[in-house]
Amino acid sequence: MQPLANITPIKPAARAGAVQLGGVGLVYKTSGQDVVAVSDVSIEVKPGRFAVLVGPSGCGKSSLLMMMAGLRHQTSGAISINGAPIEVPDPDRVGVVFQEPSLFPWLTAEENVEFPLTLRGVSKQERRAKAEEALQLVGLDGFGKRHPHELSGGMKQRVSIARGLVQDPPVLLMDEPFAALDEQTRMTMGDELLRIWAATGKTIVFVTHSLTEAVYLADEVIVMSARPGRIVDRLEVALPRPRTFEMLSGDAFGSLRDRIWRHIRKSA
Amino acid sequence: MRMRRPVSTLAWQVLICVAVLSIWQWGYGLHGSFPWLVPDLLDPYFVSKPSEIFGQFLILGCFKSKLGAFNGWFNGDFARCMARTENNLWIATAVTLKNTFFGFLAGVSSGFAAGLVLGRSDRLSAIFQPFITAVNSIPRIALAPIIVLAFGIGDMSKVVTSWIVVVFLVFFNTFEGARSIDEGFVNVARLLGASEWQITRTVVIPSTMAWVFASLSPAISFALIGVIVGEFIGAERGIGRLIIESEARAEASGMMVAVIVLMLVGVALSALIWRLQAYLLRWQQHNMVE
Repeated sequence: MQPLANITPIKPAARAGAVQLGGVGLVYKTSGQDVVAVSDVSIEVKPGRFAVLVGPSGCGKSSLLMMMAGLRHQTSGAISINGAPIEVPDPDRVGVVFQEPSLFPWLTAEENVEFPLTLRGVSKQERRAKAEEALQLVGLDGFGKRHPHELSGGMKQRVSIARGLVQDPPVLLMDEPFAALDEQTRMTMGDELLRIWAATGKTIVFVTHSLTEAVYLADEVIVMSARPGRIVDRLEVALPRPRTFEMLSGDAFGSLRDRIWRHIRKSA
Repeated sequence: MRMRRPVSTLAWQVLICVAVLSIWQWGYGLHGSFPWLVPDLLDPYFVSKPSEIFGQFLILGCFKSKLGAFNGWFNGDFARCMARTENNLWIATAVTLKNTFFGFLAGVSSGFAAGLVLGRSDRLSAIFQPFITAVNSIPRIALAPIIVLAFGIGDMSKVVTSWIVVVFLVFFNTFEGARSIDEGFVNVARLLGASEWQITRTVVIPSTMAWVFASLSPAISFALIGVIVGEFIGAERGIGRLIIESEARAEASGMMVAVIVLMLVGVALSALIWRLQAYLLRWQQHNMVE
């Protein structure tokens, strides 16, 4: 009998990175001048990994995320999500969570979560069930009937995450989702996100300018510098999971954070 | 020393009402003795007085005959009076309300649609901008005689006058609302997979709603103004017609009855709009009164 290992019945798409960027560049024109926002960025994030993009403001990290989401187009290079190029927003493959909670204030929490499903004509019953499940996952069961202004900042961001997850996309992109929250809520939300990530096994690409947040959350930190936005370093964060508050004061954590800080200080 | 308790707002309001009504009722009696104190305008020939107005209200409303006897409900006097008088208070109010409603509805829906389309299209708004400015500069009421001429003295001319007064108001508000949409919401919807039409339906319209509603309260008043002016120019029935009839007979009390009915109608309509607004915009923080 032939050894099965030689046949390798693994789909190429599954082997490739869930998120793959090859030589991605973004150039835009302002008053006749070309501005290079992103230059030659190559990233590969394997399925189920938690990658964090960190860098000073203006390094193009948010632009990169928007390109991965299909909302902007790169001027060079290629982006593929789950093995296929992304050209327009595709909620089946990519969920997005924004910096502002960006919930529609005229919809209830539940309706906000259901929104992507509503757009696709999913039946009300199925929508409700999925929204309920997503809200439960983010720890908000019982809050579905509230309007956004009746929720705290952290709760709004949880609803936002639930909306990103409701279509069960393999990849979740997060653009500084906790930047507007206070320090304590931010820490709690970080732990919550790690719990959700562990429970769902999503691939996450997370943008932040907080070094502590980056190291605390990530499997892998990608450090960018500004003008033009490019990658200057990649770090594996080998800290064990689950991550705990005590690790923040440990040496391993400190040296990773220092290494990122040195890059950012140089470019700022 | 003891502090005096503040008199409640309601008490003040009642006091003011009583004072105004008393001056209206009896003030002119002092004219003979103190001509310098009482202005000629208080002459009941011009402004009538509360007791006369109430009496006239009973007559116009078919509660009382002109001779002063009450019309019985069961002996059929009331029904006979209703059938005999072409433009009694009830019919007049019903006709005016009906025309106001249709004028308002037509004005709001067309103004909303036009505002939405032009507000979301830079090209269309650039093309139509000078025309809109020009037409908007016409005092709309000036068009009322032309409208009555064109549409006759029936209900249609009142609805059209009302429409033309309302439509611009709603149009400009919707237009501004559609212009000032938070593009962040549009982007989010697009990212979540919304088509252009879905963006209009799920983002543009709901976020424009607050602006549209801000115009509805003045719009209902304007609609009423449009109908009344139309009725002044030429009508067979309606409250405006009632005012013109009373004026022809130099009957201040009749005019005052009509004016007071209009006031009550206006208050009721505004209250209705306000309730609707509070319900439909309940997602807005400042509307959470409950």
